[in-house]
Amino acid sequence: MIPLTHYLILSAMLFCIGMYGVLTKKNAIYVLMSIEIMLNAVNINFVAFSAYSGDVSGQIFALFSIALAAAEVAIGLAIFLLLYKRYGTVELQKIRLLRW
Amino acid sequence: MNPTELAYLLVIIPFIGFLIVAFFGNKMKEGGAYLAIASVASTLVLSILILFDVMENGSYEVSMNWVAGTGLEVGMFIDSLTALMLIVVTFVSTMVVIYSIGYMHDDPSKRRYYAEICLFVGSMLGLILANNFLLMFIFWELVGVCSYLLIGFWYQKPAAASAAKKAFLVTRIGDVLFLTGIAILYVKYGTLNFTELEHLMGHDVQGLLLPALLLFCGAVGKSAQFPLHVWLPNAMEGPTTVSALIHAATMVNAGIYLVARSYFILEHVPDAFLVIAVIGGITALMAATMALVQYDIKGVLAYSTISQLGYMMLALGAGVHAYGYTAGMFHLMNHAFFKALLFLAAGSVIHAVGSNDMRIMGGLHKHMKITSITMLIGSLSIAGFPFFSGFFSKDEVLASVWHAAADNNIYYLLYAMGVFTAFLTAFYIFRMWYMTFAGKQRGDYHPHESPKTMTVPLMILAVLAAGAGFIFFFGFQDFVYFGHAPHLTISHMFEMWQTWVSIAAGLSGIGLATLIYYKGTISPRTFTAGPGRRAIRRVLEMKYYMDEFYMWIAQKIIYGGSLVMDKFDGKVIDGAINGISSGGIALGHASNSFDKNAIDGTVNGLSKGSFIGGKLLWKMQSGRVQDYASLMILGVVGLVILMLLMGVV
Repeated sequence: MIPLTHYLILSAMLFCIGMYGVLTKKNAIYVLMSIEIMLNAVNINFVAFSAYSGDVSGQIFALFSIALAAAEVAIGLAIFLLLYKRYGTVELQKIRLLRW
Repeated sequence: MNPTELAYLLVIIPFIGFLIVAFFGNKMKEGGAYLAIASVASTLVLSILILFDVMENGSYEVSMNWVAGTGLEVGMFIDSLTALMLIVVTFVSTMVVIYSIGYMHDDPSKRRYYAEICLFVGSMLGLILANNFLLMFIFWELVGVCSYLLIGFWYQKPAAASAAKKAFLVTRIGDVLFLTGIAILYVKYGTLNFTELEHLMGHDVQGLLLPALLLFCGAVGKSAQFPLHVWLPNAMEGPTTVSALIHAATMVNAGIYLVARSYFILEHVPDAFLVIAVIGGITALMAATMALVQYDIKGVLAYSTISQLGYMMLALGAGVHAYGYTAGMFHLMNHAFFKALLFLAAGSVIHAVGSNDMRIMGGLHKHMKITSITMLIGSLSIAGFPFFSGFFSKDEVLASVWHAAADNNIYYLLYAMGVFTAFLTAFYIFRMWYMTFAGKQRGDYHPHESPKTMTVPLMILAVLAAGAGFIFFFGFQDFVYFGHAPHLTISHMFEMWQTWVSIAAGLSGIGLATLIYYKGTISPRTFTAGPGRRAIRRVLEMKYYMDEFYMWIAQKIIYGGSLVMDKFDGKVIDGAINGISSGGIALGHASNSFDKNAIDGTVNGLSKGSFIGGKLLWKMQSGRVQDYASLMILGVVGLVILMLLMGVV
């Protein structure tokens, strides 16, 4: 059996890769994809801990999380579409409405 | 039902009548006239009940607090004086309102007329019933407003509108002084209640002359006494019924009532009595002379009213010991009856002729017998023909003035003025009667007798004008008095030579008028022959130039004074103000520099500090989502490190 540590290392790597993408990518679509990677890292953690502790609730949470991720992508893409219509770009560096 | 509730009803019923007529009068028959009659007549019934109650049980008072802790209250005080005034006011009002059905029949704004009459009756009853000076003043102003509204009833006529204004402004002078007097009394005694004041004055009577005279000034304005009499002749611009009700029989008596009511103050200041008597005497004589040259039938009656009010003041001014109180109030009652009769009869004449001018009247006796005979009765009464009501009361007035002369010689002069006024009164009133009813008709019109609603009140009033005089010996003198009742008898009256003097004065006045205006033995022109006599006539026609004098005061003194004050304002006051303002500017400069250096320094320092801080932090607010996310992650990492260091995890 593959020890738990391996799963955790994999998940930590995926999480960091995703976080790197979120913080550095200019294009909003890449950022969204990076967030998906981070979410998957979390899912791996859920499933791994669930399998090792013998409690299925972690796996059910993973299923919920996947469904939520799908919903999030749908909304996120719709927002980007509108952003593109309004500003002609989806580059996060250029959308600075959070400042006055 | 006990009398307390009756007293409140007396004021409430006419006010309800006023509201109903004012809002729904146009939907009712005759513009709400019948409702007005019903409400006024019910006050008459209530007044009679109150009169009997007072005769049986004496005076009583009801009141409730108005403003807590100030001694101000709303209440009713009912004694013999109140009961007498109630009867006079409600009786004359009832007669006048019934008469109005005929007189105002063709007027388009009947609703307004009856509403205002109801309001007036309610206010007048409130004035009489009030148990303190402030409440009395409130109703006093209300009757003033009603008088203003009704004088200006035909407001489309410029003369009526300006007469209303004049009446309002002239009486206002008296009202302000009256209010000042009330204020002085309140400051001095802390209450305005009649009985409480009377009680307090048992201990402290210092400095009462000023408030007493100020109260009298209010009476001078309301009762059209010299020098504030100028409004009453102009007030005849209103409907004749209004003149009869308000400007002859009721409202103008409010001033007399006020003086009678203030007797408990006046008895402590005998000097005030002299002032009242002198003003009354001057008014009586002066107004009687002005009545001599009037051609307006209502003008004669207006001056006659002023003159008779002067008589009442003269009687009241005779003081406590001379029974002036009883004589004055008795004359008030009789005058209300015969003067209302004369005015209503004059209204009947005006209704038939369509004009006030006596020069186009004449010979009306054969066309309108009832009016003619009732007016003759009224004339005999006011002229002091023996055994008519005016004879008794006028005689009592003159007798009380003669009594007062025992203490002060000025009263002898006032007595002489009173007797001469009696002669003039008899003369001018019969001049009026002969010019109206005797001789030949001088104008082109078709006179006719007035309808029953008008003649019946005339007949009722005529009975009272003829017979009310005997009441004096059968109850009146034992009912209305101040201090001691006089206890006079008819036989005693005819033992005094003063009685024969006033009979002679009255009869000679009637005789002279008969010779000039009926027989024609003496031509009226004899009195205007020669420059001296013409000048007298001119002065009388111009009403002693009083109106001109007041205009001159208004234009020259007050306006000129204002111009001087304007100059004073420009030079002195503005100079002072400019000086103050330059001082202010200097102070402003000083405070400005303090402001700039000290206060602004602090404020600027604070803002500079926060500005620098903001500039530093501003960099962090890039507006980029990813920068915020980085900071968030940094924060989370920092928290985790902190938790590890503290050993929480």
